[in-house]
Amino acid sequence: MASSVRRSPLERVEYVLIVSTLLLLVVFTLQPLLNLLALSFTEQGKVAGFSGLSIVPDGFSLDVWTLLLQHPNVQRGLFNSIWMTTTSVLIGVMGTALMAWGLSRPGLPGRRLIFLMVLVTIVFEPGIIPDYFLMKRMGLLNSPWSVILYKAVSAWYLIILVRFFEEIPKELLEAAELDGANPFQTFFMVVLPLAKPALATIALFYFVLHWNEFFRSMIYLNDQTKWPLQVVLRQFVIEGDKIAIVGANNANNNIGLAQINIRALKAGMIFITILPILALYPFILKYFTKGTMSGALKG
Amino acid sequence: MAEPIEGRVAVSSNGNVPTRDTHARNVGRESVSRLLPSSATLRAQVRQWWPYYAMMAPGLIFFIIWHYVPIWEAKMAFEQVRIIPPNIWVGLKNFQVLFSSPIFYQVLANTLIISGMKILFVFPVPIIVALLLNEIRSGKLRGTLQSAIYLPHFLSWVVISGVFIALLSPTDGAVNQIQTALGFQPVSYMTNTGTIRWVLVISEIWRSAGWDSLLYLAAIFAIDPQLYEAAEMDGANRWQKIWHVTIPGIVPTIATLFILNMGMFLSADLNQVINMQNDVNASTIDILDTYVYRLGLSTGEYALATAAGLFKAVIGMILVVTSHLVSKRLTGKGVW
Repeated sequence: MASSVRRSPLERVEYVLIVSTLLLLVVFTLQPLLNLLALSFTEQGKVAGFSGLSIVPDGFSLDVWTLLLQHPNVQRGLFNSIWMTTTSVLIGVMGTALMAWGLSRPGLPGRRLIFLMVLVTIVFEPGIIPDYFLMKRMGLLNSPWSVILYKAVSAWYLIILVRFFEEIPKELLEAAELDGANPFQTFFMVVLPLAKPALATIALFYFVLHWNEFFRSMIYLNDQTKWPLQVVLRQFVIEGDKIAIVGANNANNNIGLAQINIRALKAGMIFITILPILALYPFILKYFTKGTMSGALKG
Repeated sequence: MAEPIEGRVAVSSNGNVPTRDTHARNVGRESVSRLLPSSATLRAQVRQWWPYYAMMAPGLIFFIIWHYVPIWEAKMAFEQVRIIPPNIWVGLKNFQVLFSSPIFYQVLANTLIISGMKILFVFPVPIIVALLLNEIRSGKLRGTLQSAIYLPHFLSWVVISGVFIALLSPTDGAVNQIQTALGFQPVSYMTNTGTIRWVLVISEIWRSAGWDSLLYLAAIFAIDPQLYEAAEMDGANRWQKIWHVTIPGIVPTIATLFILNMGMFLSADLNQVINMQNDVNASTIDILDTYVYRLGLSTGEYALATAAGLFKAVIGMILVVTSHLVSKRLTGKGVW
């Protein structure tokens, strides 16, 4: 629509208004985050007077970040989040790809039945109490595997991959077969390399899903040492349990972490939790946008 | 492959449609055997397909364990749960208790109110955002704006709630600082029963207005450019083009997403509410999901909680399937 028509003054005013409205939305979106980021770098003595409107640190200090990153609860949470998310993503991508491959083969006996079975799971979820009792029965309560394995293969991402595999040209597969490849070899040596962009998309979907997961960890894991970062953050920021981070002894005697303003500690904690998302954000944008634009309704 | 038999055909348990060949061979045998492929084709089928089933096995097992076993566990809704098993079958008694409890109706009302508010106030925002983004001529500027407003979609509700608690803090939150500067009294939005539902609405807009606009933007980009050229020839200005070309072009997408949203009416978003709930606002934003959670995992009323969960699951399923069918019928696009 980039026309070379000269724009009237009215049109220019309209354009400025449109851009300003969108910039306002950008401010509304980013200001609260930037404020917390600035707060986490603000000098200890100035935290109390730090304005909620500011996005520039008042003085500069790494105290909050160093103290938080040295804190055993934070370190453990970070460690748990990283290994649990990585394992979930690997299991999820492999499980989804293998199942999608079978389901994408047109002649597969029972194909329709399995599809129906998958669709039913999208529309009917019996709720958290039956899930909880299932975990209990399987002896997985208080084990990180309850969270890692729970719904490891997503129906939505499965359908996306099936659609992708259905598009793979038949000739490529027939060629592999003629070379004497069995179905396993065909899958691992022909299909998977072809599907790299789709697999990357699914991997990022799973990554965001599992990194942000807190509910199952919260109800299945009693032992605080097994908590991922999101649950540690929740206990500190949402439930306001400052003892968890500051320590009872420090809080009582106002030493160590207790000397730092709780507000700044919370801000730092929020940012540690979203750091991996921010680090992968360029890739997330690229692949999520493509995945969503190409017709998948859910992202 | 032989052609399938025309008309109504029985499908065997493995999903096979018997072919003319197998049908001809089986004529005159017992009716049951007609439903199964003959042993020769069965063996050939197994030889051909077992590797695919082997590859699908982990996924299939996950689906059965995480989605189908819980359906069996949900029979608890019809039982009296005892500390020492077995449980006793009580039929619909738990549902009677549930439906005669005033809290249940309060919770149901909260759920409907919050979902209604979200449909009314959250749903239109991404449409407007997409229309505005489409007017940006420079692709670079548009891309930058998009990357900024998409970000919150990828943050967890724990994080978003933490952000909003800070943003709305009565002492040093940005909103109250502006408010006091303008001469108003500060309001503790998170612990105010009159404002907390609006906090849910605003935080939902914060999280999804940007990202959800992507679907509409995709629909706008798919509109035939010739329509705009024709409109320009007719001397249409910006708003006329939006009104007569862009909006009609995205009506199917709007309809689809609206119907699908209706299908989710009973899920007012557990993850959001559970992170925004506190002792003061709890009763105002207690929804079906948080009710089930509290009843089951805090109070230990397992059977009653399961019954409430099952109620939500069944009504939810009816809503989703209906909305899917309606959407398919009207716009050709469904949930799946």
